[in-house]
Amino acid sequence: MTHPRAQSTNSLEPPFVLIRALTKSYPIHRQWREILRRPFAEQWTPALEGVDLAVERGEFFGLLGPNGAGKTTLFKVLSTLITPDSGQAQVDGLDVVRDASQVRRILSPVIPDERSLLWRLSARDNLNLFAGLYGYRGNGRATRVGELLDIVGLAEAGNKMVGQFSSGMKQRLLIARALLPEPRLLLLDEPTRSLDPVSAERFRRFLRDEIGGRQGCTILLATHNAEEALDLCTRVAVLDRGRVRAVGTPEALALRVAEQRFRIYTRAPDAPAFGELLQRGLAQSLSMTAAADGQWSVVEVEIPKGNEGCEAVLAYLARHGVAVARLERVRPTLAQVIEHVVAQHPPGTPAAAEAPRS
Amino acid sequence: MRTILAFLRANWLTATSYRIDLVISLISLAAAAVPLYFVSGALQPLMAESIRTEGGQYFGFALVGIVTYSFLGVAVNSIPTGLGKSISSGTIEAFLVAPASLPSILAAFASYDLIWTTMRAVVFLGVGAVLGARFAPAGLPAALFILALTVLAYVPIGLIAAAMVMAFRTTGPLPKAVFAASALLGGVYYPTTVIPSWIELVSRVVPLTYGLRAIRRTLLEGWSLGQVGGDVLTLVGISAVLFAVAIPLFLKALGTARRRGTLAHP
Repeated sequence: MTHPRAQSTNSLEPPFVLIRALTKSYPIHRQWREILRRPFAEQWTPALEGVDLAVERGEFFGLLGPNGAGKTTLFKVLSTLITPDSGQAQVDGLDVVRDASQVRRILSPVIPDERSLLWRLSARDNLNLFAGLYGYRGNGRATRVGELLDIVGLAEAGNKMVGQFSSGMKQRLLIARALLPEPRLLLLDEPTRSLDPVSAERFRRFLRDEIGGRQGCTILLATHNAEEALDLCTRVAVLDRGRVRAVGTPEALALRVAEQRFRIYTRAPDAPAFGELLQRGLAQSLSMTAAADGQWSVVEVEIPKGNEGCEAVLAYLARHGVAVARLERVRPTLAQVIEHVVAQHPPGTPAAAEAPRS
Repeated sequence: MRTILAFLRANWLTATSYRIDLVISLISLAAAAVPLYFVSGALQPLMAESIRTEGGQYFGFALVGIVTYSFLGVAVNSIPTGLGKSISSGTIEAFLVAPASLPSILAAFASYDLIWTTMRAVVFLGVGAVLGARFAPAGLPAALFILALTVLAYVPIGLIAAAMVMAFRTTGPLPKAVFAASALLGGVYYPTTVIPSWIELVSRVVPLTYGLRAIRRTLLEGWSLGQVGGDVLTLVGISAVLFAVAIPLFLKALGTARRRGTLAHP
């Protein structure tokens, strides 16, 4: 599946979001003993290490990665809430440090913290407060607030106190708040984490069709949910320990892994020859997944040389009397892709280049 | 201004959602002037001479002192309290990513307290007038102007306390020290002239000393702004010095919080 807007990434227009060699570290919280011993020796832990990214106008871009990968820090830097240590981040040509106030007029982050709502106020009054901060007045404000309550499905609960809302409703209100200024760049940090599957699917459809589609908003989505990214994003970046490990369309990234992952149908999954494949470097990992039927078992194998390596693997197995009925390429899930990318970059390895676009 | 109005509305709605608290607060305020009236009556013979140039009536003197002192609470506490609440509730990030200016957000933190304190002051002085406090209405505009200057002179203390909240998540002893010094040495309950001479010297660096004296002379004696010009100029001077210290400190704390990524850490 190739998303139609994936094509836009080839345009000659400068990237809407441009991040170059962005670095950010946080001070480590020290114990009293350490402070007394060395009062001025602060220790810092890196959250972003030389991040390079380019996101095109109108693109739906996913940031994937495990906890602590640096996704939220990257969003906070873009939102002008955190100052980077070095490097550069630009939104529509504006620097997030130098032109912070102008950047804030372009983008809107969904602050995912429910506590950031005023719980003693109704949903409508919460939006009214922020509509005031964004410069809406009178009828225009009432119309915009009503419109957004309708969009996120809270029209009926609009006058209810937020403290009485479910987590899902609060999440939707946070999203409505972020949409107030009609942003050109929307930063979404795990937007569906508190939504039930039906609401999550409805919200994804809304994002894709309304915000990304009709309003042409550029969207950066940080998520743990790989299938969500696959469903929505034209391109994704895999972040791990503050570094971009891979960038590309979900299909291109999947292909990278798929090139090496194969499924072998055999009657002798326990044959020593499989273990020897690992020792000889013909394969990198082996796992017996499930019996395909009463006669054949399936062994999943990662062959570093891809198609070329298959021939050698098959020949080796045949030489050692292992009957192979079929060998086929495995189509990995995006979650497996992330796992694979992260596993390929142990601490200390440099960032990866962009994957070819499909 | 839009930011301030939006905050005022939200704070009013929040306050009115605690209905019992609101009603009790108003009733207790109106009642608070009554015991002051009786205590003032008892102290009048003792204080009459020393407050001769500040109204001469101890009840009016004390009312003005207490009301002015209550405004210091707004100047010193509102911004750090608003900021602290906003940090612990997580709203600070949502406010800071909006295109509203930082000064307007800080002013908005204090706006509701300022209006609420003004309403309380009106009720308090109104009840005082009914009980016999004597005011000089002609001096009201000048008194209001001086009150604004006095509050402004204490805002830098609030900014420094806000910087402390941002850096250390506590205001430390600063607001309490300022309140204590102002109450004891600023002439809230007695004129600074009755303070022993060596401490009286300290009272000369307390902005409230000048603010209160000028407010009383205008509001209780009907003096013109020109007649209290010395006190007004001193207030302006102190404000300028304090702002020159407080603004860089606050900006430094904000910059450090942004750099260390601690802006929204409760």
